[in-house]
Amino acid sequence: MPPKRKAAPGQGNASKAGRASAMSTPGPATPRSLDSSIMSDGDEDFDEDVTEAQKEREALLSREADDFVNKFTFGGKRLQGQNDELGGGGRRYDAATAFFRKRDFSHLPLKPDHQNRPLWIDPDSCTVVLERFNPLAEQATDFLITIAEPKSRPTFLHEYALTPHSLYAAVSVGLRPRDIINTLERFLKTSLPDVVRMKIEDHTKSFGKVKLVLKHNKYFVESVDAEVLQTLLKDKVIGSLRVHGSGDITTSYAPTMGGLVIPGTQNAAGVHQANLRQAEKKPGEGGDASNEADLFTALNEEDDDDDKEAVHAFEISDANVETVQKRCLDIGFPILEEYDFRNDDVNPNLEIDLRPNTQIRPYQEKSLSKMFGNGRAKSGIIVLPCGAGKTLVGITAACTIKKGVIVLCTSSMSVVQWRQEFLKWSNINPDDVAIFTAESKQKFSGSTGIIVTTYSMVTNSRERSHDSKKMMDFLRGREWGLMLLDEVHVVPAEMFRRVISSIKSHSKLGLTATLLREDDKISHLNFLIGPKLYEANWMELSQQGHIAKVQCAEVWCPMPTEFYDEYLRANARMKRTLYAMNPRKFQACQYLINYHEARGDKIIVFSDELYSLKQYALKLKKVFIYGGTSQAERMQVLENFQHNPEVNTLFLSKIGDTSLDLPEATCLIQISSHFGSRRQEAQRLGRILRAKRRNDEGFNAFFYSLVSKDTQEMYYSSKRQAFLVDQGYAFKVITQLANIEKTPDLAFATPLESRELLQRTLVDNERGAEDDVETDDLFGKPGGRGSGGGRGGRRGGNGVRRTAGMLSELAGGQDMAYIEQNKAANKALKGKGKKGAGGDGQSKFFKGIQREKDKSRGRG
Amino acid sequence: MSGGQQSYQLSEYLEKLPGTTFRKLYQQPSTAFAIFRRMLPPLAKVFVQALLYMPSPLLLAELDVWVRAEGKMQRDRALSILRSLHIIQITPPGKDKPQEMQLTTNFKNSLRLALEGGGSHNSFGVPSTLPVDPRIDIAHLDHYARKKWEDILHYVVNSVPAQGDGGGSISTAGPKTSVKELLLLGRLVELRRDTRAGVGITQAGFTFLLQEANAQVWTLLLLWLEAADRAKGEAKGAAAKTDSIDMLSFLFMLASLELGRAYNTDALTETRRNMLPHLVDFGLILVPREDTRQYFPTRLATTLTSSASSLRSVSSGFSAAAANNPGDASSLGTTPETSAASKGSIIIETNYRLYAYTSSPLQIAVLALFTQLNMRFAGMATGRLTRDSIRRAIGFGITADQIISYLASHAHDQMVRAAAATGRPVLPPTVVDQIRLWQLENERMRTSAGFLFKDFDSLEEYVSLSSYADEIGVLVWRNDKKRMFYAIKMEQLRDYLKSRKKAE
Amino acid sequence: MVKAVRGVLVECEPAIKSILVHIDSTHHHEFIIEDLDETHLFVKEAMLQVLKSKLEERLRETYRPEEPLEDSE
Repeated sequence: MPPKRKAAPGQGNASKAGRASAMSTPGPATPRSLDSSIMSDGDEDFDEDVTEAQKEREALLSREADDFVNKFTFGGKRLQGQNDELGGGGRRYDAATAFFRKRDFSHLPLKPDHQNRPLWIDPDSCTVVLERFNPLAEQATDFLITIAEPKSRPTFLHEYALTPHSLYAAVSVGLRPRDIINTLERFLKTSLPDVVRMKIEDHTKSFGKVKLVLKHNKYFVESVDAEVLQTLLKDKVIGSLRVHGSGDITTSYAPTMGGLVIPGTQNAAGVHQANLRQAEKKPGEGGDASNEADLFTALNEEDDDDDKEAVHAFEISDANVETVQKRCLDIGFPILEEYDFRNDDVNPNLEIDLRPNTQIRPYQEKSLSKMFGNGRAKSGIIVLPCGAGKTLVGITAACTIKKGVIVLCTSSMSVVQWRQEFLKWSNINPDDVAIFTAESKQKFSGSTGIIVTTYSMVTNSRERSHDSKKMMDFLRGREWGLMLLDEVHVVPAEMFRRVISSIKSHSKLGLTATLLREDDKISHLNFLIGPKLYEANWMELSQQGHIAKVQCAEVWCPMPTEFYDEYLRANARMKRTLYAMNPRKFQACQYLINYHEARGDKIIVFSDELYSLKQYALKLKKVFIYGGTSQAERMQVLENFQHNPEVNTLFLSKIGDTSLDLPEATCLIQISSHFGSRRQEAQRLGRILRAKRRNDEGFNAFFYSLVSKDTQEMYYSSKRQAFLVDQGYAFKVITQLANIEKTPDLAFATPLESRELLQRTLVDNERGAEDDVETDDLFGKPGGRGSGGGRGGRRGGNGVRRTAGMLSELAGGQDMAYIEQNKAANKALKGKGKKGAGGDGQSKFFKGIQREKDKSRGRG
Repeated sequence: MSGGQQSYQLSEYLEKLPGTTFRKLYQQPSTAFAIFRRMLPPLAKVFVQALLYMPSPLLLAELDVWVRAEGKMQRDRALSILRSLHIIQITPPGKDKPQEMQLTTNFKNSLRLALEGGGSHNSFGVPSTLPVDPRIDIAHLDHYARKKWEDILHYVVNSVPAQGDGGGSISTAGPKTSVKELLLLGRLVELRRDTRAGVGITQAGFTFLLQEANAQVWTLLLLWLEAADRAKGEAKGAAAKTDSIDMLSFLFMLASLELGRAYNTDALTETRRNMLPHLVDFGLILVPREDTRQYFPTRLATTLTSSASSLRSVSSGFSAAAANNPGDASSLGTTPETSAASKGSIIIETNYRLYAYTSSPLQIAVLALFTQLNMRFAGMATGRLTRDSIRRAIGFGITADQIISYLASHAHDQMVRAAAATGRPVLPPTVVDQIRLWQLENERMRTSAGFLFKDFDSLEEYVSLSSYADEIGVLVWRNDKKRMFYAIKMEQLRDYLKSRKKAE
Repeated sequence: MVKAVRGVLVECEPAIKSILVHIDSTHHHEFIIEDLDETHLFVKEAMLQVLKSKLEERLRETYRPEEPLEDSE
């Protein structure tokens, strides 16, 4: 009985990982249907043109990673022996025990001063409950974010889960098992249950024990524990891969942070002023972070005592790195990568520093201190909400390492933005920041520098242009100090694998707003890039004014009966179109746009459904951008949205979910979205978090989700919100918009209009005219063939891709015709030519825009 | 469900009593005093105090001098309560004479006696002169009373049908049969074969569980009085009336007794002596096994007429009672958790997670009525409000408003403070909305069984019959165009139709 | 000749009515006796409970099933 019960929470994870595994290994001959790739939240549209052999190899790696991931789940086989010791399967403490099934831990006695301690722990699931109003809450929070996964962070009580991955992360940022155990013991209201202590010991003993260090451009497998190293050497695979000679096992001393200063921090400023006062402690002292610093300083001081800890290492050759890494993983000693950049005298230094007036925020500093905790650069992932300055974190990391940097982005627009940010925040010579995209294949002039490119550019293994090939040779031929991986949550694990195997870097930093994926690939990132180093608290950042405060609402829109009857009969695809085209939803959208434009807001309306996107935008005479919008038009539309006081509402398809920086936007309306994707919901919310006006007195940004009542959209909507709700966001349900019927020119106000809309929607969509498949790349496409929206189907077989391409071409043609007919607002924005599009029927609104354009041309 | 029977509140009960009963009740100084203490709003108390030693009636108009114009509503309310409890008399309005008010004679005399002391009415109990068992101290009495009362509440909670394997079958010895019968009689529970306990909770039972402790005690006592009334009413007549007045007076007397002190049973009337076994079953008094000539009132009895302004929960009632008597607080032997409960123990987050600072199995059982419970630590239970957990509660007949008010009245200090600091409501508005929305979901389809009348031969026949149906109040729906209507009964309509046919 | 048919009057919002009609049409019309108007249906008394549970089933699709608390990632 006890083993069974212990297995329960873990089994959930295991089965989930199992599912992910099935999905990630379809085998070369199993094409996945388009639908299923959509269902699995697969909007990663990347080139998939790789050789079958490569695919097979990747599939194998992926499968092995899955197996490994499964192993690292509490409640799995490995831990059962210990779990039994908890006993008490059917323990009954009092009359209320039965309500908690197996989760009554009231027998754990409270410490006498429990009121001064902020934590409880469930020894079974390792769920930690934190009292936020406890005097020690701040310190406990900082500790927990290092060792555990945040699960629920509303107002008063937070929940975290201690997982093998989170412990892995904790160890990798320099915490030792006894630090974790002692600190937990200090914060817990009860004694630390033995079973938890054992879990921690068990998991930390294998994690982070072995490091892969690129020293003097040779790879070393390093450990403080000589025995561990011996174990590895005795392994038949690893043992044979050791480079012999040069004394086999070398011994040196473990590094400390000593003297390393992260630029942009308080410490950095101090160093500047006092001209090299020895900064021996961690950054993060002073300012609001002082409380937190206490704890970590304390932990660090302990470290200092053991300053002279010996480190043992043996060398392996470059070619065998991946094999060794994989093997270490298999035998339970996952390798941690660290880069001792200060002692790297082979790779040239890069002239780069933050500009003197650049100050990074406390949480940015905190996240970086996890990366550089012991004076070396650790690979890993930093999670910050959109708008919280991920780019600056990446740039600061680059300024700390001061070696060659390669930045990987999801779109060529991001590439441009990243380069601009580098120039804005650092003193880097513009010639040293080069761009590698379809349009531009620059190299830096000096011995080292920064290259900004996209994932697609470097993983595209198809026939390349001569320039691209030369560029790739250049990238492959060098050693990079830092690889910055942007938006890691949207990139398939296989793609990382390809990037990482083709480009050699000493350290990797992944940046993302959310590690959520509806599939379970996130755990792979732990091993491909590194552990999660830091995850910020959204609510806290918003309270401190770093990101905007947002009011969230879900607006319920009943469907007119004819619509609803049709909905009940329709197939899944048509259902989605119908709940997006619900005239009541249309009216709600119109109402909200009117209301917020009148308030002076700039509004983004999101629709995943292309048909409704266009219908809404055209009917409401608003500008829009979707996958098929040309580069020039996009630029023009965005520019107008940003600067033209007449253009206050922009309709966007899901290509605008990420990597679109529009700080003007203060209101967001969602009319159709991607099923139950929690990630998309979080990303979209992110579009308004950096609102320029966020620090105005009493300012609120607004996030509306319009859902058709009594449809599946309701289900998806609540699923989508789950992540944000656990971050402390509250969605107000609005069932009635006051005076909506008084809206001037309310669309589809009569039953007749409503019926006509239904008929048109049915007719237009029966042909299957449109398809959702769109490119992720918001701004322009990488060169080569197959450009356009057709690169869907994340891992789908070739067949899927081809179909998608054709659909997209088809859709493109139709769009053209449609837009001409409807005098789209977009066209009105176009300055010259296009007289026909403007026509006499042009509204005052469009004429106004036209006038302005003419004026500015006259001046220019 | 149970026909919407609500728990009785003392005021409702009293207001139904005739004037003669009040005259008799007010013969007891302890009753007059208890009513004065418990039943009156502050302004009414001020009026009574002013009138108490006034030699002659007061002109009603003079009250306007006492009460500011904006307090008129409160004044009217105070007067209305005083009149309904037969504490004051007001002369009827007339042209020749201005209206006057004064205290009713019995009430005035008794209240004076209560306040001044003196008299030989024994209205405040006769202390026992016999030696007292030293083991029976306040702590002992509290423990005893708590056990008795919680047994009763557990019995009611237990009658909740078990849910899955997490069901709340809490086995306790349970209360005395007489109490069980009373609960059945009061329809707080009803006989049900499908539950393990053999009884099932009713809607009134849920209302009872979600009440504050003091209100619970009164609910039960009033059920008892009514049952006694009915039983005797069937047997005799006038004599029964006196009995129930005496019973009620006794309860008010108990409220005036001193906790920890022994009183003499010999000084009681027969009616009152007959009440003792029941009061023991309820936990209101303790009668030592060795010496049945003594009885000790417990805190349940002595706080019967304490101010009801602060809401108290099932589990915190005792600690709240302790707080009324700060000197005794330590002797109650409460853990820090339960004393925290008196300040409110529940935190509800915007993501529907619920945290209750409590160790009380009873409070946890009450929470389990509408919460999906999750983990439990010493002094802390966690769970979540879910659509299913709320809908299940609503299925029992618990209303969304009851749940919301329970959460609000038990809200943890931190929530109250945060709300005060930000000027927002104590409970997250989105959660409150959602609980109501979940309730609405249950009401999306209303049904009634009856008859659809159609295929009329003529418009005239349709109009005539549907109008008649409307007239006799059985018509629910009609559609003149379709010439159809729906009625909940058909017999009268059939007869009407027949007679119409005959007439033709 | 006037008829009085025994059954149950169902009063509901149009959307619920639509679902009920849809259920009826996919179950050989064994529930509904008469479609009265936008918000009223007249149904067979014996089938009422089945109809109710089928409706509940349908509505359930529009709500997120509760995830177990252990797994609220």
